[in-house]
Amino acid sequence: MNVYDISRIAPCDAPSEFADDTSDIHFVPAPCQVACPIGTDAPSYIAYTWEGKMEEAFEAITATNPFSSICGRVCDAPCEPACRRADSDGPIAIRNIKRFVMDKLGQDYKPTAIEVTRKETVGIVGGGPAGLTAAKDLAEAGFEVHVYEMMDRLGGMMVWGIPTFRLPDGIIDEDLNRLTDRCPGIKVHLSCTLGKDITLDELKGKHDVVLLSIGAWGGKTMTALDVDDARVVNGVDFLRDINSGKRPDMPETVLVIGGGDVAMDACRAAKRLPGCKDVKVVYRRGPEEIPARREELEGAVKEDIEFIYNVQPVAVEDGANGFGLTCVKTELGDPDEDGRRRPIDVAGSEHFVAGGLVIVAVGQQTECESLEKAGMMDWDRVRTDWDSMRTDDPRVFAAGDGAFGGSTIVMAMQHGHRAAYYMKALLNGIDNPLPYRTPYRTRRVPVAQDAEWEVINRQHQEFKGLGDKPVEFPEIEVSYDGEAARNEAARCYRCDAETGSADYTVHSREDIFVMARADLSDMKTQKAILNKRLQSHDDPFQENHLPTLDDLIFLPANLSRLVIDPYRDPCNVKAKIAGRIDLTSPLVAAGFDAAPQEIREALGAGLAEHGSAYIGTKQLPSSVPWLQLAEVGKDPVSEKADGVLFIQTGGFKEFDVPALSDDQIIGLSVSKDDLSRAIPFALDNEFDVLLLNACPGNGDWPELVGNPDLSVIRDALRLLRAMNREEDIEILYFGGVRSGTDLAKIIGLGANGAALGASLGFALGGSKEGNTMTFSGDSSQSERAEAVALLMKSLSSEASIMARCTGKTDVHNIEPEDLRSITRITSEATGIQMPGKNALL
Amino acid sequence: MATIDLAKLSVREANELIRKAGAAGEDVDVLNPDAKHHIGVGLVHDVNVHVRGSAGYFCAGLTDTARFEVDNNVGWGLADNMLGGTAIVHGNAGAIAGVANRGADIIVHGNVGSRAGQVMKAGNLICVGNASFMAGYIMYGGRIIILGESGEQVGQDMTGGDIIVGGRINSMGKDAALTDLDQADKDEILELLERYKISFNGTLQRIANDGKQLRYSRNEPRVRNIPFFEATGEAGYWNEKVLEDIHIKSQIGRYRIRGYGTTRPLPHFGDIAFRKDLSNIETDPKVLEKINLKTKIGDRMGGKPLELSMPVMIAPMSYGALSKSAKLALATASRLSGISENTGEGGMMDEQRAEADLLIYQCLSGRLGWSIHDMQRADALEIYISQGAKPGLGGQLMANKVTEQIAKIRGIPAGIDLRSPSRHPDVLGADDLVIKIEEFREATGYRIPVSVKLGAGRVRDDIKIACKDGFDYVSLDGLQGSTGAAGNEVLEFVGIPTLAAITEAVDALVEIGHPGELPIVLMGGIKTGVDAAKALALGASAVAVGTSALIAGGCISCLQCHVGKCVVGIATQDPEHEKRYNISAEAQNIHHYLESLRWQLAAITEGLGYDDVHKISRDDLVALTPEAAQITGLPYVPEYRERDRDLLSEAS
Repeated sequence: MNVYDISRIAPCDAPSEFADDTSDIHFVPAPCQVACPIGTDAPSYIAYTWEGKMEEAFEAITATNPFSSICGRVCDAPCEPACRRADSDGPIAIRNIKRFVMDKLGQDYKPTAIEVTRKETVGIVGGGPAGLTAAKDLAEAGFEVHVYEMMDRLGGMMVWGIPTFRLPDGIIDEDLNRLTDRCPGIKVHLSCTLGKDITLDELKGKHDVVLLSIGAWGGKTMTALDVDDARVVNGVDFLRDINSGKRPDMPETVLVIGGGDVAMDACRAAKRLPGCKDVKVVYRRGPEEIPARREELEGAVKEDIEFIYNVQPVAVEDGANGFGLTCVKTELGDPDEDGRRRPIDVAGSEHFVAGGLVIVAVGQQTECESLEKAGMMDWDRVRTDWDSMRTDDPRVFAAGDGAFGGSTIVMAMQHGHRAAYYMKALLNGIDNPLPYRTPYRTRRVPVAQDAEWEVINRQHQEFKGLGDKPVEFPEIEVSYDGEAARNEAARCYRCDAETGSADYTVHSREDIFVMARADLSDMKTQKAILNKRLQSHDDPFQENHLPTLDDLIFLPANLSRLVIDPYRDPCNVKAKIAGRIDLTSPLVAAGFDAAPQEIREALGAGLAEHGSAYIGTKQLPSSVPWLQLAEVGKDPVSEKADGVLFIQTGGFKEFDVPALSDDQIIGLSVSKDDLSRAIPFALDNEFDVLLLNACPGNGDWPELVGNPDLSVIRDALRLLRAMNREEDIEILYFGGVRSGTDLAKIIGLGANGAALGASLGFALGGSKEGNTMTFSGDSSQSERAEAVALLMKSLSSEASIMARCTGKTDVHNIEPEDLRSITRITSEATGIQMPGKNALL
Repeated sequence: MATIDLAKLSVREANELIRKAGAAGEDVDVLNPDAKHHIGVGLVHDVNVHVRGSAGYFCAGLTDTARFEVDNNVGWGLADNMLGGTAIVHGNAGAIAGVANRGADIIVHGNVGSRAGQVMKAGNLICVGNASFMAGYIMYGGRIIILGESGEQVGQDMTGGDIIVGGRINSMGKDAALTDLDQADKDEILELLERYKISFNGTLQRIANDGKQLRYSRNEPRVRNIPFFEATGEAGYWNEKVLEDIHIKSQIGRYRIRGYGTTRPLPHFGDIAFRKDLSNIETDPKVLEKINLKTKIGDRMGGKPLELSMPVMIAPMSYGALSKSAKLALATASRLSGISENTGEGGMMDEQRAEADLLIYQCLSGRLGWSIHDMQRADALEIYISQGAKPGLGGQLMANKVTEQIAKIRGIPAGIDLRSPSRHPDVLGADDLVIKIEEFREATGYRIPVSVKLGAGRVRDDIKIACKDGFDYVSLDGLQGSTGAAGNEVLEFVGIPTLAAITEAVDALVEIGHPGELPIVLMGGIKTGVDAAKALALGASAVAVGTSALIAGGCISCLQCHVGKCVVGIATQDPEHEKRYNISAEAQNIHHYLESLRWQLAAITEGLGYDDVHKISRDDLVALTPEAAQITGLPYVPEYRERDRDLLSEAS
């Protein structure tokens, strides 16, 4: 199956009632999800499994899959070959993860029952995966559904086709119980065969619509082996006997003809039966072509089953050599109509293969005499229109193996969903429903943060094989333990999830993937890719975009300036406040007045370690220099302060400056609206420092409200420049500095340094709750102090890298000319020009 | 013996004759050298060249196996990047004598200028007199012997190799230290001196790397990418990514490193549209036969141009950042699609040379894997000044990718956190660059193009310099360009967007009266034929795809290239991971992607009513956002956004 075709570029519209997320610009269904016939949101349940959120994983698994417990063990798992990691070190073992989750929750889960709300009823013939899936969908839509099952229990081929060493009885019951608990509106009629116990006409009389999901219970035969001999049996019949509990004696050697899943189950079942020593599988193509699922094949090989490839039986023989098959060798010719290469008999290669029992497992067919008589069959299938799921009779639908030939459980479930969709449309009086397509949901689970995700190899379930008592059919493999499940889940690439790059988004990436894999002659797909890339997207900087430091970029030195090596050349980051306080970098801390005492202690220790200072109303319990934030007319000036920054609530008013000692720094904290009055006042009074407050809010953590107002620094500088007094006062900036790059930008805009608040709070273990910060965690005081010092060191290293990238050897030499703005709004707020056409010459 | 008189011949003519003589096994006498530059450059034969006088810059540069002797003095860059052989100077040498030496014996009987032996990797550099400052600057291997005074900051930032000093050590450089010199080494050195008839009976001291700055001190905790944040609203200011960043930096105390390019939304090609509605165009199935896509680049100075089947190149990416397998897949795909491949920083592999039809060989400041033989088998040379992902910084390769193999091809010690120098030893400004280009042209007989790779910054100024310095074309890389490893802040915030870069570049050429004269190969976030057509319309001559080609070949955009454990085997040197990469399958995928891109280019060209892709122009474009309009100068027509909003549902 190609998961890289037009459906990936331009999935057709999903019916509105579908839970489908393909219109989400941050989501593209992963290859595994697309390969799954019922669109299972595997990436989400894998990620939930890693997180240990089992109930959420269970929900994602069971959302479209009523037979999840069964599928956890025996699904054909087309998701796995589609998995992108298959090209690397092996696909994610998606099925095993499902099994792990279902083992945890599948048994005890009690779903909410859905009551019957509609007067119309539905009759479904056949209680296999297709019929029961449709039954569930219809029951969930409020219809009463009657299921007519010819055997004495529900499950169809899931029960009768799969031996219990792969699928223990209890597992089937888990799913069936969950289904019937969920849908009390499903009425089951066991041992009720169409054409014998009830007729189609009777069903049509009783119900508004009927679904024929009668399966394909007849084993196909090979003309050459069509002999009336008990030693030649059909694979489907053989398995049905076994699964009814019989354990027939086997001859020493058993031959199995065929290479599909029935052949695999038959050969492995035979191997476990009394008397059997050797089992040989005879397949007419080679090991590359054999259709059996890789894991089943490997299991059989591990159980010492012999595979004879490129051999075709031509006759049953019972002569001097004993009982067995006459076979010929084959070689592969040109591809058939189904695309597989046709085996051609090699002349003169006849040989004898001895075996006391021949099990023919070469395909299945549908058998139903009454439908045959009614003319509703087309060769070995019920004649069904794929686009409507209807048979010749407009009120009779068909699905599953019986309608479309032998296939897998998961494909049968897709048929069930599909048929239910069209049946509901009919019951709801919708004449032309949108064509059905598999819905693709995402639960938007974050990517598993597992550091080893690239390294961990595929985790294998422990293989038990035949076990101590093979005839009891003990389960062949053991489910993952928690660690193996988590490791396997960590491996997922998360092809569905948005990337970390706004340029190479998940959609861009997948479009490129399709370009690299779609057929060049497929003009429809090529045109769809082109159209998708021509399609417009939203303006990334819409009206609610606010001026931000993120919009400022630095211009590097290249040819027009000497390149300074940021890895090696020295760059000064040291700073001083008013010539009196030495700082290791142009950074101080501010705003921890309301923080818990132990946080203040750790901050003090960290600032001392880095060589910084603190701005606040209260001194930190630390010897670091302190600039007291003193409210005018309220807070007395402290003698202990290395400096005093006056602050006024409710706007600037001229005030009488209290006397300070000679060595105390004096400054003023101002907001944007006060600049025009505060700056002349500060200059007249020979203040040393202006603290520009760009915080968008008030309170203990005023930075947390959102983007700082950068225009405060623009306006302050404009005023100072207009007065030609730029050099007469130092500027400290407070508001939303998160990185050394932010710091470098602030300096470029004209500040001498910046105060850190919230950033240090986060480093100290704070978490943002609304517009405030709370502290928790069990870090030690020395760890907290170290985090403060390391963050300041990081910021300082980043700022100096930025300076050197622009060709400067001192952070303080970054200028407005080194900056550009990528948005108009930030350009306006900062006075920094944009690059490109309108850049100044 | 051939006698060449530089009073009568130009250096270019002389070098052709010297090479011819070398090929014939004839020794050469150079008369009247008159301090001319580039004497003997490009000679790779085992002959003697005697320069009877003084030589200028790069004497004996870019050579192998030959034996040079200069009677008097030489200018800077003596024996630049010499692979083997000898160069003996009887007078003094200027700055960076023996720069990037890879195995030659270089002897200066007088004094040497500053930065002697910068970025050298092997061989010997012997200075009988005194050295000026920073001898052995950023050296990776080999041996420098200074019998006189060491000069200031000797061994500054050296990574490997030895510096032996016979005289006074004026001052020790950063991360260099005195170490023991055992008798065996001493004997070997004396024997070497004796071989070149240099007598010395003083005391020798040995300086080596101090090992303090070869690796980052604290490992960065590994995290998988969280989705990018859109640049809107107050709520985004302290977003999850910002908090993650603060938490990690408060554990490591330095800037963070990652792979890929910018992660936040920037003005880009999606913000401009074609004026004509292309959604309903009927594309001729034979459109590829009708539309000319062929592109010639690189004959501005008369060399053999790169003849591309379409205006697309593979962007420079190194063997080192990428696995050998990934590089080979790119080389194969480039050949299958008739375009060029580029070595990037890491040197040229034989298999890569064999796979690619057109191979551009990139020269970086560290001269890692740089060799005259590879220059002479390249189809074009490219001098890297900077790149869009990290302009202002040299290449970066984390220790777990600097394997023995990678170290060998690059000529450096294995297992270091490699931070290539940001500045060329011999390019401090525009004037030096002119001479450097000339050296390259001399080494390759003026036969192949020489380009410059520029990360977009002050493009308006830089392009003017590039034009006047005589490059054949410019590889211009915008802020959106990606890399295998760089500081996160540099990736995000240094450089101007690709749209702004091309706009400024085109304008700059107009401003100096050379409109369109310097072809511009634009890169940095180009993904499809749509982006490529817009780039061409804005004035690019071609585009280059890097990240997109990797994605086509299996990259999943996890941004973890720097870790070296690439899950698909692309950005790794770990054999366990590299074996996950299926070279032939991915080569086909990349080729397929390039062909799809080709079809898109042709379909757009046809849709716009042209028969040649190079006829698309600015007049075909409009801007959809105010930012894009201001940056490009295109008319702002937001209505086109609505027109193109639901192209897909219309089509399906």
